[in-house]
Amino acid sequence: MKKILYISLIVLLLSSPLWAGGNKETAGTDQPASVQGFDWQSQSGTTIKIMANKHPWVDIIEPKIAEFEAMTGIKVDLAIYPEDQFRTKRTVEMVSGASDVDVFMLMPGNSLAQYHQAGWVASLDEMMKSENLLWPEYDLDDIFSSALGAGVKDGNHYTIPILLETSLLAYNKEIFKKYGVSVPKTMEELEAAAKTIYEGSGGDIYGITLRGKKASATSQWVDFLHSFGGEWLVNGKSGLGTEEAIAATEYYGRLLRLYGPKSAPSNSWYESISIFMQGKAAMVYDASVFKPNYENPEKSAIAGKVGYATIPAGPAGAVPHVSNWALSIYENSKNKEAAWLFIQWATSKEIALEGLLAGIPSARDSAWNSDAFKQGDTTPEWTQASIDSYKIASPIWNPPVIPVGECRDAAGSAIVAAILGEDVRAASLAAEKVMNKVLDNQ
Amino acid sequence: MDGKTKYGFTLPALILIGIIVLFPIIYNLFMSMNSWFVASGKGPEWIGLKNYINLLDNPRFWNSLKVTFIFSLGTLTVEVVLGTMLALFLNREFKGKSIVKLIFLFPIAATPVAVSLIWGMMFNYDLGIINIIMQNLGMEPLLWLASPKIVIPALIITDTWQWTPLILLIVLASLESLPTDPFESAKVDGANIFQVIYHITLPLVRPAIVVAAMIRSIDAIKTFDMIYVMTQGGPDVASENLNLYIFQTGFSYFRMGAASSLAIVLFTLVLVINILLSVIRKTGAK
Repeated sequence: MKKILYISLIVLLLSSPLWAGGNKETAGTDQPASVQGFDWQSQSGTTIKIMANKHPWVDIIEPKIAEFEAMTGIKVDLAIYPEDQFRTKRTVEMVSGASDVDVFMLMPGNSLAQYHQAGWVASLDEMMKSENLLWPEYDLDDIFSSALGAGVKDGNHYTIPILLETSLLAYNKEIFKKYGVSVPKTMEELEAAAKTIYEGSGGDIYGITLRGKKASATSQWVDFLHSFGGEWLVNGKSGLGTEEAIAATEYYGRLLRLYGPKSAPSNSWYESISIFMQGKAAMVYDASVFKPNYENPEKSAIAGKVGYATIPAGPAGAVPHVSNWALSIYENSKNKEAAWLFIQWATSKEIALEGLLAGIPSARDSAWNSDAFKQGDTTPEWTQASIDSYKIASPIWNPPVIPVGECRDAAGSAIVAAILGEDVRAASLAAEKVMNKVLDNQ
Repeated sequence: MDGKTKYGFTLPALILIGIIVLFPIIYNLFMSMNSWFVASGKGPEWIGLKNYINLLDNPRFWNSLKVTFIFSLGTLTVEVVLGTMLALFLNREFKGKSIVKLIFLFPIAATPVAVSLIWGMMFNYDLGIINIIMQNLGMEPLLWLASPKIVIPALIITDTWQWTPLILLIVLASLESLPTDPFESAKVDGANIFQVIYHITLPLVRPAIVVAAMIRSIDAIKTFDMIYVMTQGGPDVASENLNLYIFQTGFSYFRMGAASSLAIVLFTLVLVINILLSVIRKTGAK
């Protein structure tokens, strides 16, 4: 008899979590009316394949995909590649014409001209207007028009932004204080600050670190180009050989050669920000998305000591750029509706806010203005600098042509020559010649 | 069996070789006479020999040839000399010989990408162990992969570490199978060790050295993985060899026709060098 009592007690105890779970479930069905009104399950049973590059945003999305799968019944197959390989792999998939990819990440400023001309990206306009497919709470107007507009070609939308980034000058407050340096507002002040710190520390601390590795360097060098009054294209021809461009390249190279890390010509963003995060460099000018890296005490020796500012002004003013990663649907995808549901979920207000809280600059106004973000903002300086930078930024950061890679490599040659102290004028004119030849052979 | 049946038996092999060897070469040759800018979405367009003519005044092509040549010659020389010397040194009976041979196998067995990643880190200017050791020895740290002047020597060092053992093992195997008579009569005649090595050992193992050199030269000329992982051809194009330039042209710039013409150049280069080496081997045998 005692035994039976024990057993029933154990059974009761074991089943209690079930009860609790059951209660939760009943509570869960009490969802907002708008969600009930929109049929997330309409594409249930489909599998979509997504190609992504290793980006902090993907780190936010990846663990949440199970939630999307449970909500929609769509199975998501997410493939993540390092950035260089990602770009190559994505294009090879497209060229093959037989890819089973449905959604891919794309930087419209980098690749949309090419992808649009080749007919690889699907127009999203019909689905953006469809009552059955547009989630009523999605709120397209909430997305910054510069970010949404970057995905427009010939009046049609081809990309939905997942973030809007700019480049910021990040500086080590401790080092600045130690050497009595204030935040540089002009290019002259920037160089003077770098010099003071490099020479003051006897060469132990680099004044500044920037990307120096060929094509990758052009992403930030372009802001110096614009701030010195140069352009990628002048009347449809290469602008790399203009006086303004030569002055910008010379300046960029001189900063690194005299006050930067010796390894600059082989540094891409990863090496460059690593040097900054080890406290070996006082400043870095790179993408605003790297704030979570700078502020992560596990990765960064300078977490909590970083200040942020917009690019210092050159002869033509302070001209940073905005760029954005976005999601596109492959033109030959057989699951465009399911893909569109995924895009809406992945770029929703909730995920945008969650991303922003983790330091990924959102492309949605609501995220920046939310109380959750404002109250929890541990780096208001970064927020202010980002917003200031958006206001003065140019949307152009890559040559606005189809053979982007070749033109970036050409400019990269001149940048490397400038860092190494070679003849910048000759290198810039050679780069101009290469770029013009590339433009002639499209 | 009549005269024609025998062809029937070789036919499947011939078809297979035709599909997987001959067809790609011929198709590549055909592509190299087309202009095909894949990124434009347009199809290939026949332009005859224009891709080849364009190569003539393309400084990046000549640079890549130069890099290929210096890198291959450098690795081949160092590895053949070092490998043969080590083989001569190890060609005797001593305790633990099989273990030593096994240890020399390790670098060959390692994945080139993993090896390159580790060497890339060791060559790092600020954090690499090589510069730390050099500084402890009182030397100035070197830029290694960040310097256009010493990036190729750095790559040669890495390649030497990985592939010298291959030469060593081939030459050692050949040494161990040599007849003992010539050495005994040389000893009787009073030849010293250097005379024996120069006049007897080296001529006898020459075919083995040439075979090892052939294998290594093909590999060195078409090296890709190591350079791609360690420098991606940089700084700028200082370590961009022909194979890397082909990859860039084809898969970063999407100019398939131009990439095909470069591939034909590489193919011809490997072919010519192998014909040369096999001639050396045959004249040596006589």
